[in-house]
Amino acid sequence: MLPAALWLACFFAIPLAIMASYALRPRHILGGVYPGWTTASIARLFEPLYLEILQRTVILSLVATFLALTVSYPMALVIARAGRWRTVLLFLVVLPFWTSFLVRTYATIFLLRDTGLVNQFLLALGLVQEPVQLLYTPGAVLFGLVTGYVPFMVLPIYGSLEKLDPALLEAAEVLGARGWRRFWRVTWPLTLPGVLAGSLLVFIPSLGSFLTSDLLGGAKVMLIGNLIQNQFTSARNWPFGSALSFLLMGFVLIGMLLRALGARREESR
Amino acid sequence: MKRRLLPAIALLGYLALHLPLLMLVLWSFNVSRSGARWDGFSLIWYQRLLEREDLLLALRTSLVVGLTATMLATILGTLAALAIARGRLRRAALLESSLSLPIVTPEVVAGISLLVLFGAIGMPLGYLTLIIAHTAFCLPFTILVVLARLRGMDTSLEEAALMLGADEVTAFRRVTVPLLLPGILGAALLAFTLSFDDFVITFFTAGPGTSTLPLLVYGMVRRTVEPTVNALSTLLVVATTVLLLFAQRWIAPARNVG
Amino acid sequence: MTSRREFLARAAECGLSVATASLLYGCVTKRSPPPPGERAVSAAGPLEGELRIFNWSDYMGPETIARFERETGVRVSYDTYESNEEMVAKLVAGGGEYDIVCPTAYLVPVLAEGGLLAPIDHAVLTHWGNLLPYFIDGNSVRGGRYAMPYQWGTTGIAYRSDLVDAPPTSWGVFADTSLGGKMTMQDDGREVLGAMLMWRGRSLNSTDPAELTAARTDAIVVKPNLRAYLSAPVKAQLISGDVVLAQMWSMDTRQAQLEEPRVTYVIPEEGGELFFDCLAVPRSAPNRRAAHAFLNFVLRPDVAADIAESSGAGPTNGAAIRLMEHPVHPPDAALLARLEIQRDLGPATDLWDRLWTEVKAG
Repeated sequence: MLPAALWLACFFAIPLAIMASYALRPRHILGGVYPGWTTASIARLFEPLYLEILQRTVILSLVATFLALTVSYPMALVIARAGRWRTVLLFLVVLPFWTSFLVRTYATIFLLRDTGLVNQFLLALGLVQEPVQLLYTPGAVLFGLVTGYVPFMVLPIYGSLEKLDPALLEAAEVLGARGWRRFWRVTWPLTLPGVLAGSLLVFIPSLGSFLTSDLLGGAKVMLIGNLIQNQFTSARNWPFGSALSFLLMGFVLIGMLLRALGARREESR
Repeated sequence: MKRRLLPAIALLGYLALHLPLLMLVLWSFNVSRSGARWDGFSLIWYQRLLEREDLLLALRTSLVVGLTATMLATILGTLAALAIARGRLRRAALLESSLSLPIVTPEVVAGISLLVLFGAIGMPLGYLTLIIAHTAFCLPFTILVVLARLRGMDTSLEEAALMLGADEVTAFRRVTVPLLLPGILGAALLAFTLSFDDFVITFFTAGPGTSTLPLLVYGMVRRTVEPTVNALSTLLVVATTVLLLFAQRWIAPARNVG
Repeated sequence: MTSRREFLARAAECGLSVATASLLYGCVTKRSPPPPGERAVSAAGPLEGELRIFNWSDYMGPETIARFERETGVRVSYDTYESNEEMVAKLVAGGGEYDIVCPTAYLVPVLAEGGLLAPIDHAVLTHWGNLLPYFIDGNSVRGGRYAMPYQWGTTGIAYRSDLVDAPPTSWGVFADTSLGGKMTMQDDGREVLGAMLMWRGRSLNSTDPAELTAARTDAIVVKPNLRAYLSAPVKAQLISGDVVLAQMWSMDTRQAQLEEPRVTYVIPEEGGELFFDCLAVPRSAPNRRAAHAFLNFVLRPDVAADIAESSGAGPTNGAAIRLMEHPVHPPDAALLARLEIQRDLGPATDLWDRLWTEVKAG
């Protein structure tokens, strides 16, 4: 336990503390900070412009997580029931990620362009008369987010499913529950830890994502990830960037605290 | 109805994941540089790939860093997960929730804060800093994955082993670990994927001459969209498929034990 | 298994050390740069060691580095970045040890004043005379004390002559709804707001809040007509015809033209932006000798010509132009009158960033 804790403490907690201190300092013209303290950056956090960006980001991430779940759960189920083919299917899930995320995103752009494969397909089938704009829409961004995070959802759910005792399922069937009912009352609750772990692994990174909305959304919408990235680069305002990051983290931690409370209450039931 | 719906959705999922990948592969054989049109079949990009020393060097860097960080993160992570789930640590719950902090941190912040740290202690950027950084951001994930597996695991098998006279260490080795193996492997897979594909944190912690593949690709892909990168990706995909075929021989029999 | 007391003690230790470390660090200002490079740049003897270059991607000839390595025996490691700020962030945080970086000219005075650049020793740069005076006298470079001009480019409008009815003549073309959904502007606050400023006849380096707010409003009005904010990657879409009109850099346009000759470039009547990038030696550079050798190498006409041919940018090296297959001449007087050089915004950077956020969020 200790080595892991030490590692994280050194290479995560301490740098983070440094960044936290940055949030309270006046900004240096080149980026970085001057000595001294100021709460200017913290105050700026509460302006409506920035809160609105945060809200938009959260909503997008929630939708992405939900969609990812809808796709990942069936995939995990299929894998868990696949017997011999399990490893193959699992690897197929992870395989796209051995290529570069950026290259895949560019490939997605080519897929979704007006002159891209999907539109050509639709035109050829006569389903549409003119190319449909698929790229640079919120849908494209969601597609990118979901396909980007599906493995993080599939693996934990699969992990939960895998150790599910088939005897329990049989018992349920014997007792009269079949199909959907059996799933809803037995499988689903037992895989909840996997679902929650997976959801977290999708929701949180998508909160901080910026590349996907830039590349697939045409950079037309500013999410909090873009905002933070900007502060550390073109705006050269590290203190504000740090303040924003901590706002983001704080927000999520509150959400997780609520979940933890909810889980504990359930356990004591 | 449910019978057909689930596999259908699953198929859609796989398709969505792989369609861009297929495009990548197709594009690597397209003679046209920008890939805007299909101009003809060609292997020219594969030739160029062999000439691009920088790409090959970046690939090597990515692999070295990825494998090392994966090993470290998986081992440390498994130990930590065991300690949290099984150990008698007070405040284990607190420790576990604090794990989410690294995951929540935007990569920019994590990257820059590490850069500042390395600068402050005077550590030159290079392989070491990369490995340290990668292990650090992979750890929370490996811990969580192994934990999820541990939590749901049925302890009755281990108790049975103990009752049958095995000591703790043996029980651990011969019962716990094999049962845990899918979780550990899953964690390792996740860690390697995260590390291999990482861009932001790597950008800030890589030193001169230690660019990883994503760093190089980012530059290439933003400026000149040259299919050489696609050739590389296609080769990587082929390599992993071959690996997979071998892995199936190894992993499959081992899993039948559990 | 640790006992409770032990664990608490250890945790307290950890916590305390973390707190102290961060406090201590908090009190320390930006790390002062290490003492200047050891060996005098003009020392005699063969070059040795390694040269570490940090440059824009796609901004070097394909054979340049290899040639330099062969001729001098110095090993070169070459890393790239996509924006000035990424490079500055690394310099400021004090981590990377590069011998050569490539800042755009407007950053040079700021970096020099921040103590991040080493002065250039002109005694060793025998080919310095090849540079066009225009780029050296410019305020930003101050006679080349801290940076050497490298390549230049402009920002204008690139369009498909076959897909657009009338060639654009003004930045106001982005307000033209008939081209709606087929135009892009760059994903860069300075470029977008700068274009809006120029449209209204103002300076693209303006720091006046009233002018800037007007530019922001213009940008928001124009936004629905835009397909996306795209910088260099718009090349592929221009070639395929998904995009018919784009705000683009001259070098990217030139590269696009190689594949699609119907891509045409124009600087609007109100004006355009001129920028040039320089090579500079950071103060913390470990191998200044090799850095200067490289600078002198790049000053050679044949080398500079190679670089410019492959990047599509304009060379600042006068002697190189004659050697180029597709020569790029520096802007003539008439064009220069319409071009404005990008300058650093200083404290106004914050206001620009806030307005750009508003454009994106709007």
